[in-house]
Parts: sequence; C-alpha cells; structure tokens
Amino acid sequence: MGIKKIAKKDIGNLLHQWGKDYTILVPSTEGDTALTVHGSRFTVHGLWDGSDVNLDWHRNTVKPPKSNFLPPMEEMFRFQKGKEGHSIELPQEERRQLIFGIRPCDARSLRLLDMIFTDVYQDPYYLPKRNSAVLVGLVCLRPYDSCFCTSLGISPGGSDDVDLLLTDIGDEFLIEEISDKGKRLMELTAGLEDATEDDITKASEAKEKAYGKVTRKIDTQHLKDKLLSSFEDETYWEKVAAKCIGCGICTFLCPTCYCFDITDEKVKKQGARFRCWDSCAFSLYTKMPMENPREEKWQRVRQKVCHKFEFYPMSFDVIACTGCGRCIRLCPVNWDICQTLEGIRDRGGDHQ
Amino acid sequence: MNSDGRMQQRLRHEAGALLEQDKVDRIIGFEPGSLKFTTTPLITKIKDDLDRLVINPFIVNNLAVFLPGLKGRIAIVSKGCDSRSIVSLIQDNKVSRDDLVIIGIPCPGMIDLRKVEKLTGKDRDEMDDIIREGDKVVIREGIRDEGYGITPDPYPLTLEVSDVLFDNCLACEFPTPQDYDILLGEPVASRQSAAGESVESQESRVESRGEGDSRAKRLQSEASSERSVSGLQTINYRLLTRQQRWGFWRKEFRRCIRCYACRNICPSCFCKRCFVEESEPQWLMPVPRWQENLMFQVIRNIHLAGRCTDCGECERSCPMNIPLRSLTMEMYNLVGELFNFKAGMDKDAPPLMTHYEQEEAEDLIR
Amino acid sequence: MGAELNSEWEPRLLGLLCKWCSYGGADLAGTSRKKYPPNIRIVKLPCSGRVDPLFILKALHLGFDGVLVSGCHPGECHYQTGNFRARRRVAITKKFLEYMGIEPERIQASWISASEAGKFVEVVTEVTEGLRTIGPNQLFDEQRR
Repeated sequence: MGIKKIAKKDIGNLLHQWGKDYTILVPSTEGDTALTVHGSRFTVHGLWDGSDVNLDWHRNTVKPPKSNFLPPMEEMFRFQKGKEGHSIELPQEERRQLIFGIRPCDARSLRLLDMIFTDVYQDPYYLPKRNSAVLVGLVCLRPYDSCFCTSLGISPGGSDDVDLLLTDIGDEFLIEEISDKGKRLMELTAGLEDATEDDITKASEAKEKAYGKVTRKIDTQHLKDKLLSSFEDETYWEKVAAKCIGCGICTFLCPTCYCFDITDEKVKKQGARFRCWDSCAFSLYTKMPMENPREEKWQRVRQKVCHKFEFYPMSFDVIACTGCGRCIRLCPVNWDICQTLEGIRDRGGDHQ
Repeated sequence: MNSDGRMQQRLRHEAGALLEQDKVDRIIGFEPGSLKFTTTPLITKIKDDLDRLVINPFIVNNLAVFLPGLKGRIAIVSKGCDSRSIVSLIQDNKVSRDDLVIIGIPCPGMIDLRKVEKLTGKDRDEMDDIIREGDKVVIREGIRDEGYGITPDPYPLTLEVSDVLFDNCLACEFPTPQDYDILLGEPVASRQSAAGESVESQESRVESRGEGDSRAKRLQSEASSERSVSGLQTINYRLLTRQQRWGFWRKEFRRCIRCYACRNICPSCFCKRCFVEESEPQWLMPVPRWQENLMFQVIRNIHLAGRCTDCGECERSCPMNIPLRSLTMEMYNLVGELFNFKAGMDKDAPPLMTHYEQEEAEDLIR
Repeated sequence: MGAELNSEWEPRLLGLLCKWCSYGGADLAGTSRKKYPPNIRIVKLPCSGRVDPLFILKALHLGFDGVLVSGCHPGECHYQTGNFRARRRVAITKKFLEYMGIEPERIQASWISASEAGKFVEVVTEVTEGLRTIGPNQLFDEQRR
C-alpha cells in the first residue's frame, strides 16, 4: 500500500488533475458569507470553484454527504403529453463525483445508506452516483463535543469506508491508499511525494490523539432489546418528546436518514417527477398514501430513535447512527439523542 | 451572586410553591443543555425537576411555542419578547390568561454564540467559560491544540456585551415582560439605543401613524449607517437596488432545506396545518427550490404580521443561516408604521388582521 | 429590459375582483362598449376580503406581470368590512414584497363600484401601461449566475 504526501498549497493542483475525470466536491459555504454555522465553516460538500481549499479550520459540514447522493431535491424524469400519449425523458447521466475531505463518520453513513438502497430494490438514482463516486477522506482532528462516533465503532481516523485517506500533518497531507478505487486514482496522479517514516508516525499519532478527543459516549449494549421493551412506554416517550418542536433538522441533516417523498409537477402538458427529502418528524409524513400511523409527537420521536437503534439492527444487524452529533448540535431546543438512549438504559421496570 | 443567580434561586422557589400549592399543573422553564453554553426547555410536573431550572445568558428559546400544545394550568418562564408572544397567543384565543402563571424575567439580553465564535475565532466547544459581568462578557481559555491550526490567543478575553448579544436583543424595545404574575427581578430599560440605530428613527417608528414622512426618515437614517443584517452579513441592505435585493434573497433561499424549523420554533406559527402542506390545492411544491422556499417564507411572514414579537428564534434555529430576521423585522416595522400596531402589547386588543380603521393605508390604493 | 428585446411581449394582469362591485364595473364597461386592454384576466371573488396574499404571490410565481385587487369603496362592502380587511392585507403584502425586491407596481389595488365602468377602464389601462414600463415579470425565473 503506497503512502504519499502532498503540500497543502498543492491541493489545488491535485484537484485540477482529478477534476478531469470527476466532479470535485469540497467543503463549501454554499453562498453563505457567515463565518460559522453552528461551529462549522462549511454547510455542504459543494462544487469546487477552482480556488484554494483551506481545510485548516474544517469541522464537519452542516449538510451530510448524503445530499450528494440523495439530494434534497432530485428530478426523476420529465414527462410530456403529445399526440401519441406520454413521453418520458430520463435525466442525463451525471459525472462521477469525488467527495474531497469527507469525514470517516460520514463515509460510514453512506455504507449504511447502501443497505437500504440495495435491499428490496436497486435504487436507480442513488446507486449509479454512489458506485461511481470516489471518497477522499480526511482524518477528523477536531471532533465536536457533540460527537460520539467511537461508541459506534467508528474512529475519527478510520479508513474503513473511504478510498483515500488524508491526514493533516502540519504543512502537508499524508495520503493513504485504502481501496482499489483509491489505488487506481493514485496511479493516475502526478506530483506526489513518498511519505517518510516520520510523516507516517506523525499521522498515526494525530489519529490516536483525535480518537481520545471524542469524549461523549453511549452504551449500545442490549440497546435494541431495551428499546423493544420500552416501545409501549408512553410516559417515557412523552417525557422525552415534550420539548421537541417537530422540525426536520435532525432527520434532514442526519447522514443516515433516507426518507423521501415523490411529487409530480405538471404545467399544461408537461412536467416532472421529483423526489425530495421527507421526515418522520412531520405530522404529515405518509399522509398522502394513507394516514400517518404516528399521530402523536411522542410516537414520531420514538420512531426516529427506534428506526436507528432498533429497526435497523433488526434488518441489517447494524446501528444506523454514526455518532456525527449533527442532530444534537443543530437542534434548536437541544434535544439530545444520547440522553434519550441513556434514559432507555436506566428506565426501570420490565427488563433486567 | 449575580442577578441571574438571584433570579434563578427565586424562580426555583416560586415554581416549587406553585406546584406544591396546586396552583398549576405544569412548569415550563429552562434547564442546562447537554452542550456547553446551551440550555434546553424543561416541561415538567415533577417538583424534583425544579432544582434544574436555570437562568443564564443562554436561555434563548421562546417557551411560548409550547403553550398551544399543552392543556391545563401552566406556569411559564418568560423573557420580554416571550411574554409578548404569550399575549399574542391570548389575543388569538390559543391560550387563556386564566390558565397561565407568567413568571417574568427582566431580560438583559441573550448571548449570541455565533458572534462570540466570530470574535474569538474559536468554536463554542473550545471555550471554557463565557461569563457576563455587567456590560462586559469574559471569555475564558480555549482549548489549545498545539501545532494544529489555532494560534493561542490572549485569553481570558473581555468583550463588550453589546458586541455579543443577539441582534434582536440589541434592538429590544421591551426587555421587561409586558404581562406577568411574578417578576423575578427589577425591570430593565430598553437596550434599543445601543443597537446602533438612531434614537430619532426609533421614535419615529413608535410614533408614526400611517405611512408618510417617518418612514422616509427611517429609511434615510438606516441607509446612512452601515448596518448588519442579522449579525451575519455586513451588507447595507437598504442601499441595494431592487434587483440586488431580490437577487440577495434568491441566493439565500437556495440554501433552504425546508426543515421548517423556523416555523415550528415560532410561537406565532400555531396553525394545525400549514398552508405550505396543503395538497388540495397544492399552493407550493414540497421540493426545496428557491422559488418555493422564498414564497413559503414570504407568506409565513405575512401570516405573522402583528404576531411576530421579534424574538429572533426563526433566525437562530435556521441550520442554513438564512438571515430571516431581516424579514420578520421588516414586517414588524411595517405594521407599526402602517397601522400603529405592536404585537403582544394588549391582550384585549383584537389581532391585527381581524381589525381595521376607517382611514388607513389609503395611499396604497389607486 | 426584456420588453424592448421581445416586441411580442404583452403584460399579463390578473384581476381579483369583488363580484358585488368591481366585477359589475367590468361588466358595465363591456356592455357600454368601453375599450380596455385585453391584458387583464379576471377572477371573480365573493368579496375583496377573500383575497389572500398567497393569491397575489402565487400569481407572480405563475408568471403574471401584475395583480390588481379591486373591491367596493370603503363603507360600501356587501359584508360590511371585507374591503377594510383586504386593504390591510394588500398594504402589507405590497410593502413587504417591495422590501424583498418586487416592484410595487406589480401589486395594485383599487376601489371600483359596479357603476364605475369608466374608472375600471382607467385603472386597467393605467396599470397595464405601468407594467409595460417596468417590463416582464422575471422574478421567479431560473437564472444561472
């Protein structure tokens, strides 16, 4: 496995090279001129404009990278009514995406989304984008106080789910090839230096240190069963849900939430079908096909928690949470999923 | 003990007595949040929980948002702006004054962490302490991350309180609750003049009837000083051309993800079903396109006319940092200028849009 | 502006008219063979008090170049107060949208009684000409910038 390095000032060159084959997406401000958005400089992985990429201050983006694969709004097809009936025009195939600077937790979230989009059907919108994409990870040296990835088997320096992994070692980035895809990309990349022993040591020290910085913990042992037994405990869930305002922040900005709504828009004889994010936190969720089975707010809050920590483990044997902490730090009322889970663990009664 | 501490002590005592004497069924207040410098709403019936009630410069939420959803007699902790929201809800028949015990906090303003982050160059979780001492705010020691990005700054750092309060707190006209049963401290005076707006324009805003000169005067005075829209963008919005203004919003609303946090956090947005979710007829597509996002926000603001008390919660909640307060504030000022109306001042007054005067706004009719 | 570039462009004006007065005024203009610009498309409403700011904004969103709300003169509302309420709504809508960058000329209101065919013609003509001057509504068009 080749380990290379590149000076931070040369990142632009690197992206230019990669830009020949890929659409380059870097942490960006999406037109927001504000310095920080709840502690993050960046709102999303957006189109690289060719300028310098300074990730020194980079903390995780507000919008998770799912927005690059399952965008907030996506045109599924256009339709037109002509003399011979309806005709359909599918969207053009997009260029392969290269997500630069994705965090290990967010990279994991995509793997979790893969499970759902390959489960009962092969999603023709998500999968092509996902399969062709290259993820260039960045070791997360400054986790937030709301991060708890280590409790979910993810490390801020983890390389399990990325193709290449960068580590900030001062004036340079160490670049590790992780997957075959990453290896192929590296073979085509010029202008990299070999990393020295010293660089490698620096990087592994940095990773270790970052791991220690994630101080928030949750205990996932037997969580699934405890959630199962708490399911009918209306008192508990009502208490937990009391301060929730039922907005879509925690679900829309969750890297593993994938619910979407499909809508047609028709003007005169033509139109398009869209799919856009939907949220189980909304009282109108699934109202269109039938009724929302979760009429009360506490039921919707319970759904959000149980889906990630009970139903996902039942179906795929994995917790659908990466501990990225977005739902905690972005919540307008500081509703904290860790506290809820702790409450589940401590809840007295029908379990040992 | 500082004044927050004294108020907090009294609050716990009063709230306890209210529950004990069965005067209310529930208390709505604030407890410490799970992250540094945050608080979180505490809605409880249990007396033991009341030891967690806090008052500090981070009790940002407008708790009135919870009232329409709760039954029974409620004691609610309320800052100046919140109390006006409560009054506004009473005007709209969403709650009954008889069911409420309003525990008023004379509010010295809340600290906007985004401003602190901007001024210190450190993120919230990298600061150890933010303490308000009179007109100063002292920031204590950030985590020093040797060799990684952050240069050690000279901490502790002392900032002027007027540099770190929320914009709406700086512009607050009525920091002391308008209506209360218990007031936890001495009434405080308006901070308005500290907001960088001229006193003259403030007066003209309050006194103006109908349109006329005062508005022109205000526009003039606002245009003459560099003005930050919502503490985020330092742009002089009033000096923009019409096309530039529209372009500004077009760009801002491109970011909107339609999470509806602005609506759900707002005490005045109490509709059971929002127009934006109507499907027959479907006024707006649920897709987060800037056109729809912008229309949603425009109509929301029109629905808030005469209800919005400038608590600033919509803007604070927005995960995409859209300067929503620029819009709410304009509507707030508009209803003052056109109809001499201020939201949440008189619980017996009819809501703005259910009422009219024989002579008003005629110059807008051809 | 676009008006010069596209000589075929004609302003489209949406009229939201109260059936008790302005709609009658429009009718009378027609039966009296008075000429008014064909640019107006009329929606008959039970009262100007039925006007929801959403109608106005939606019309602009759909590409109408302007909206004219018209009801009975103050004090003459069939339902006593509908037009007063409409006045408040239209006033804040117009002013608020102006703040956001929409030309105030696009949102118009007028009191026209059933007998004022002349005033109807006058208002529609003026408003249409006003719209011609400010050009087509491109507010909600997608622009690549």
